[in-house]
Amino acid sequence: MIELYAITDHPTPPLPQVAPLRLVATGDLAAICAPAGDDGVSADALWRHEAVVEALMEQRDLLPVRYGTRFDDEDAAARAVEARRDDLAMALDRVRGAVELSLRVIEPGAPQAGDGASYLRDRRRQEDARRALHEPLAAVARAAMTRPSPDRSELLRAAYLVDRDAVEQVTGLIAQLQAANPTLRLLCTGPWPAYSFAEA
Amino acid sequence: MTDKLLHAPPDLDLFADDRPRLPDALSRRIDADPESVERGLAQLVLTIVELLRQLMERQALRRIDGGTLSDDQVERLGQTFMELDKRMEELRTEFGLEAEDLNLNLGPLGNLLDP
Repeated sequence: MIELYAITDHPTPPLPQVAPLRLVATGDLAAICAPAGDDGVSADALWRHEAVVEALMEQRDLLPVRYGTRFDDEDAAARAVEARRDDLAMALDRVRGAVELSLRVIEPGAPQAGDGASYLRDRRRQEDARRALHEPLAAVARAAMTRPSPDRSELLRAAYLVDRDAVEQVTGLIAQLQAANPTLRLLCTGPWPAYSFAEA
Repeated sequence: MTDKLLHAPPDLDLFADDRPRLPDALSRRIDADPESVERGLAQLVLTIVELLRQLMERQALRRIDGGTLSDDQVERLGQTFMELDKRMEELRTEFGLEAEDLNLNLGPLGNLLDP
């Protein structure tokens, strides 16, 4: 069994020595894989996978492959890439030269509405606040997506696809937004492989 | 992973409740186990209900902006949405679903609940 880490352009710079990585090329795309470990599913294994993908993305544009994607052998991996060649090539073009930044915004001590009218007022206020944060960021990002928040204290959970050389600009903007909204807490992490934008 | 913090507030522990969910990282496949089929069905139904709830809530906010509702009507609407919101959360808990599970990836159209 082999495990898939990323899809990238072929040819590609030399692979880093972070794992026994192999390049499976088909035309102008290549899958980067390594022999699959048999240590089962665990948080550690997930982070090891992530570390490999991050080492790979330093030198190249890539579509990160979700942890746990396995094939019998290199031929099977090559066939799988071949079967979706056009979609994968298009998805790779979309993320070319960009990385993903993740943003979470919480409002500590968000008021708990007691009555109906204040519940709706809170919804409105949160919706406005969320827009005021998301829209300027989405405007400088190449693409943006939001995810449902687990609870009312979390205003925004978003991912932004950002050009590699615009990361500083975006984090600067986030610092400004934080300064302008002292009652909120903004947490930005990255740069990540473009997991949220890699759907082929 | 501190090297991944691009911007963090001083009270970073506010975010610490974010337990990583391993199943998320694995591909979500339909599983033929009866219990997970039931959960999958609940997930689908609750996703649709959540979509409707959000649409109606936004519609209500627009009507309030329009100024055509009396204070009494606003209060009743608000109560209704507050109750719905609470009930949705209970149902989610009952089926072991997170907010993020109540979404559908519509491919090129993005996510169903992507406001």
